[in-house]
Amino acid sequence: MTADETGLRELRSSVREFLEAKSPEEAVRKLMESEPRFDPAVWAQAAEQLRLPGLVIPEEYGGDGFGLVELGVVLEEMGRALLCAPFFATVVLATQALLASGDREVCARHLPGIAAGGTTAALAVTEDSGSWDPAMISARAVPDGDGAWKLTGRKAFVIDGTTADLLLVVARTVAGPSLFAVDRDAPGLAAEPMETLDATRAMARLTFDAVPARLVGADGAAGRTMAKVLDIASVALAAEQSGGARRCLEASAEHARTRHQFGRPIGSFQAVKHKCADMLVQVELAEAASREAARLADEGSEEFPLAAAVAHACCSRAYMFAAMENIQVHGGIGFTWEHPAHLYFRRAKSSQLLFGGPAVYHERLLDRLGI
Amino acid sequence: MADDMQDFAAEARAFLDAHAPKATDRTAPTWGEGDDSMAYFSSLPPEAEQEHVRRARDWQRVRHEHGFGWITGPIEYGGRGLTPVHDLLYDAVESEYDVADTGVLGVIGLGMIGPTILAHAQPTVKERWLTAMYRGDAIACQLFSEPGAGSDLASVATKAVREGDEWVLNGQKVWTSVAQHSQIGLALTCTNPDVPKHRGITAFLVPMDAPGVEVRPLRQMTGGADFNEVFLTDVRIPDDHRLGEVDGGWTVALTTLMNERATVGSEGVGPVAAALSPDHLSALMRATWTWDDRALRARLAELLVDALATRHLNTRALRTLRAGGTPGPEMSVSKLMYGQNLTRAAHFVSDVLGPRIIADTGQWGTYAWSELLLATPALRILGGTEEIMKNILAERVLGLPKEVRS
Repeated sequence: MTADETGLRELRSSVREFLEAKSPEEAVRKLMESEPRFDPAVWAQAAEQLRLPGLVIPEEYGGDGFGLVELGVVLEEMGRALLCAPFFATVVLATQALLASGDREVCARHLPGIAAGGTTAALAVTEDSGSWDPAMISARAVPDGDGAWKLTGRKAFVIDGTTADLLLVVARTVAGPSLFAVDRDAPGLAAEPMETLDATRAMARLTFDAVPARLVGADGAAGRTMAKVLDIASVALAAEQSGGARRCLEASAEHARTRHQFGRPIGSFQAVKHKCADMLVQVELAEAASREAARLADEGSEEFPLAAAVAHACCSRAYMFAAMENIQVHGGIGFTWEHPAHLYFRRAKSSQLLFGGPAVYHERLLDRLGI
Repeated sequence: MADDMQDFAAEARAFLDAHAPKATDRTAPTWGEGDDSMAYFSSLPPEAEQEHVRRARDWQRVRHEHGFGWITGPIEYGGRGLTPVHDLLYDAVESEYDVADTGVLGVIGLGMIGPTILAHAQPTVKERWLTAMYRGDAIACQLFSEPGAGSDLASVATKAVREGDEWVLNGQKVWTSVAQHSQIGLALTCTNPDVPKHRGITAFLVPMDAPGVEVRPLRQMTGGADFNEVFLTDVRIPDDHRLGEVDGGWTVALTTLMNERATVGSEGVGPVAAALSPDHLSALMRATWTWDDRALRARLAELLVDALATRHLNTRALRTLRAGGTPGPEMSVSKLMYGQNLTRAAHFVSDVLGPRIIADTGQWGTYAWSELLLATPALRILGGTEEIMKNILAERVLGLPKEVRS
């Protein structure tokens, strides 16, 4: 399914309205210091009222089958509101991993529950190095008879890793990196929360000690699956980043219009005005890059992988820039705990480095260009 | 695409097939082959420059004869009476063909002055000049900037004094592109120094062969002379060549400047397209054995992120236009990024080339980049400086308070 311009506007305004009611700053601040790091009641309402968990899940698995364009609109709004929810881990990372695995049986088992909002899921790829490169994975899985497997190793930086009902784990077999499904209550699994720079996105360290696991997709196929997931997740993250960056720009412009010093609004000083204009330029580029990448994905264009790399790099930089300059435009008040500017700063830096950071995404871009 | 658009595109293609060869792609050259010029401004000797202008006029005449000379213009002045969307579509189709570069008459004259004449001139002037311009006979220039009126354009000091049915103009204009080839120029003059400056300006269409008009080439930092100074000494202009009301010239100027932003922001082709082409830049890095230099690779990636994101921005603005909508600030952002991207590209390539850009070794595709390098400072100034563009974005898009102005 695809929504036209009017449909996208309606989707945006209904998500914004929902988040303004359910995820105002006070709620975000409360949740970022609680366990779990989200409000299960709000998550249930997001499923019942807006059908958000099933947005991009194909209709055959109980979802609404929308594309990345619609997902982007939702994520831009979630990025604006710094929503604390299992959306990114469940709907973006885990769902896309299941779909990319091509394993229809596993999809049929898990996706309807995710679409209905009853199941949350997480994707565990990175280990202590934080690298998403499947070649860096040392967790291992060995056959345990009757098609069952046992998984041993450590994972880190796993978003929602302490709360997700279903864990999708990449581990090495003799055939290479492979994707496995592990239940929350499986014996031998331990999860502990990590202290995070961005408290609105929970991360966990997972330890697997001969944990029973089920293979998802073909043995040794996770390298290719993860490449696909990373492209889609980069574009999804880019949408979230551009939404956050837009919010920082709006906050700065608002402050520059109303804050007076030397008897004038500070936005009438060119030094401040140009800072805001520079933020606007970055935000416009970020939105164009992320929305265009989403469009190319939905069209099945062969330009998508390059556009995904551009969006990831462009939006990562734009958000960090906007979050940093937002504090500068606000001056002293922007450096206080009470002001929301630092929440965006933390999210911006954490998002920029989530999939490896500039050194990784620049090389990925050049690789896509054959350079 | 709607049916009539498809018909129009097919008609354009049939016309171009009959009159021009298909273009070759300059963004993916075979290293060491073909033209390696990276000139942003023309660097042609005088005879070649004349030939270039003649070819531009000839191609514009052919376009005009086949109904593509002024796609959005009214039929009574030789136009086609179609929409800006048809215009964009024609440009897109024509870019697939190797045709004469008509920038000398197109960018300023047809792109900016023509629409201004149409909006503000008296009927006699419209009849006298519009068809001539879009047929390639008349080239027009913009007599706006003065030594004392750059970003603060409204402070023009060129005087126009009424004498019966005529006006007498005295003053100096500067940075006038294509004045040396022009038949007419649109001049902003001061007609009332006693009121706030925006309310004392009057616009005139000046025949460039009128007695008292003197065009002197202005040599810019590239070494070439693409701009001019124009001196106006007791130039007599009939009142019917006045555009808009007496003291109402600022409105006329705004029409021109709005069309300027639309024109400048859409630049993305031409010989310098290679400067932002991934294929071209990677070929350069291979040819100079720098492709595995990590620091250069990181800078190349950053440069390409901006270049490709800017392309996405243009694509989306164009799509909005084609769908009949009005783009937001994309065009102004795109103009800013265009200057910055090319500037960074020129400096990136300089660092890749090293000494080969400070002295000519004769090697293909190396010293030629110095032409672009020397042109890039202009890209952050012309058509509204970066600083003015940022003021406009902050004030009009973000609603920040205006600078205190005198």
